[in-house]
Amino acid sequence: MITWVGRKTIAGWTYLAALATLFAQALLDLLMPARQGRGETFRVLIRQILFTGVDALPVTTVMALLLGIIIVTQAGTQLPRLGAGALVGSIIVVTVIRELGPLVTAFIVVGRSGSAIATELGNMSVTREIVALRLMGIAVGRFVVMPRMVGMVLSMLCLTIYFDVVAVFGGYLVADAQLTIPLDAFAGSVVRALSTTDVLMTVLKGLGFGSAVAAVCCYHGLAVRSSYTEVPQQTTRAMINSFVLCLLFDVVVTVPLYL
Amino acid sequence: MSDAAIIFEQVRAPMLGGDSHLEMDLRIGSGEWVACVGPSRAGKSLMVELAAGLVVPESGRVLVLGQDWRQVPDDDPKSVRLRVGVVLQQPGLLSNMTLFNNVLLPLRYHRGSIPDRHREQMVMSQLERLGLASLRDRFPAELNQGEARRGAIARALMLEPDLLLLDDPVAGLDADMVVELTTYVDEWRARRPLTVLAALRGWSPFVEAADRLVVLHEGRVAADGTRDAVGEMVPAPLRRYVDKPVESCRMER
Repeated sequence: MITWVGRKTIAGWTYLAALATLFAQALLDLLMPARQGRGETFRVLIRQILFTGVDALPVTTVMALLLGIIIVTQAGTQLPRLGAGALVGSIIVVTVIRELGPLVTAFIVVGRSGSAIATELGNMSVTREIVALRLMGIAVGRFVVMPRMVGMVLSMLCLTIYFDVVAVFGGYLVADAQLTIPLDAFAGSVVRALSTTDVLMTVLKGLGFGSAVAAVCCYHGLAVRSSYTEVPQQTTRAMINSFVLCLLFDVVVTVPLYL
Repeated sequence: MSDAAIIFEQVRAPMLGGDSHLEMDLRIGSGEWVACVGPSRAGKSLMVELAAGLVVPESGRVLVLGQDWRQVPDDDPKSVRLRVGVVLQQPGLLSNMTLFNNVLLPLRYHRGSIPDRHREQMVMSQLERLGLASLRDRFPAELNQGEARRGAIARALMLEPDLLLLDDPVAGLDADMVVELTTYVDEWRARRPLTVLAALRGWSPFVEAADRLVVLHEGRVAADGTRDAVGEMVPAPLRRYVDKPVESCRMER
């Protein structure tokens, strides 16, 4: 039993170290770009931002609106019974901006783009496109990994902020239509409840979740060796590990700050 | 030493499965066209992969254009890597790019100083030469094996390498296309010095055009020399990999 726990612990740390190495290498490639291939790498980055960020706007909008509506509906019907009807704005800040906004956005990105990256890189490994890039003198880290990671981190950050704004708007729609809370009262309640820390935490979580998901998905995509059957296996692992890592990161940054 | 494009120096490397080893001590001169033939599992692909730096030998060393791959960083812009064009059995065209963009990629990446228009002309002239111009906007999944292979060869030659490594370059090509491809490589060699090492399953016009033939069998060099010389020294069971098939002779008549 002890041996099993020891093995698993070592494997877990080794995995985290590999992810950190991949992320650090991508950061180095970003900060110290090579002279050659900048235009091509930039094209890959733009494609990634379009796919992960822009293309995800419709689904993000729908989910954020619905979440905002649900939360304010629940809060608006329960809080007045406790004499705390004025806390509707607070509730949406606490639940959406602090927690659910970044998390749900991360889940959307993992489901759409994380799985796509893992699958794409996995297929590229099997069809030897990754090898072909190396043989052309194109560094895989610079050309494949870095632009995908940067694109995903930037997209995640922007989507998280967008999600928060849309969710608050969704909440306002319910507040206005069913609870007859006017816009200025709702907005004032949200602004009063929102602190600089909340905004910074949203940004931090957007960046952290983006980094974690990008590193995990690139790592698992490149871990595919020679068979197409490995691709779905690694993609599933990438998605599960991304979810777990996002929650872990959330706990690590949330607990010390708010407890 | 300086006039050798590839030196396999007492190389020993495990073959697929790890049960047997490729053992080789071979020198390929600069500007030579060497065809390596032999039965399956003879070590032909491994030989190309060793020369391409994809496999590190257990012992011995492989010097390519005077450099040991182990000392060549992956992303050095002045790397010897850019002087070596490689096409493996799987052509490795990027599936999210059209054929045109695939062939253009090495130029875009490494020769950013060349104007776009000139680069595109260079690519189009190669595609036209290989009969691929009408397929320029197709993605790799829409190409057949032979078309993808020719596209990969065009891509490998875009940086005008000094050494071209080909693993089974004629697989999936019809007889006319093999002749076309042979002429295409020959034209490159006429324009600038180019060493060619190609692994092939057996006789083809591509082998016929080679200056030198290396016959591999069970990981060892069974014969090495000009086609005529090899024809005499190669053991009978391996002769069919070297000799022109009778059917081909009859058809030519």
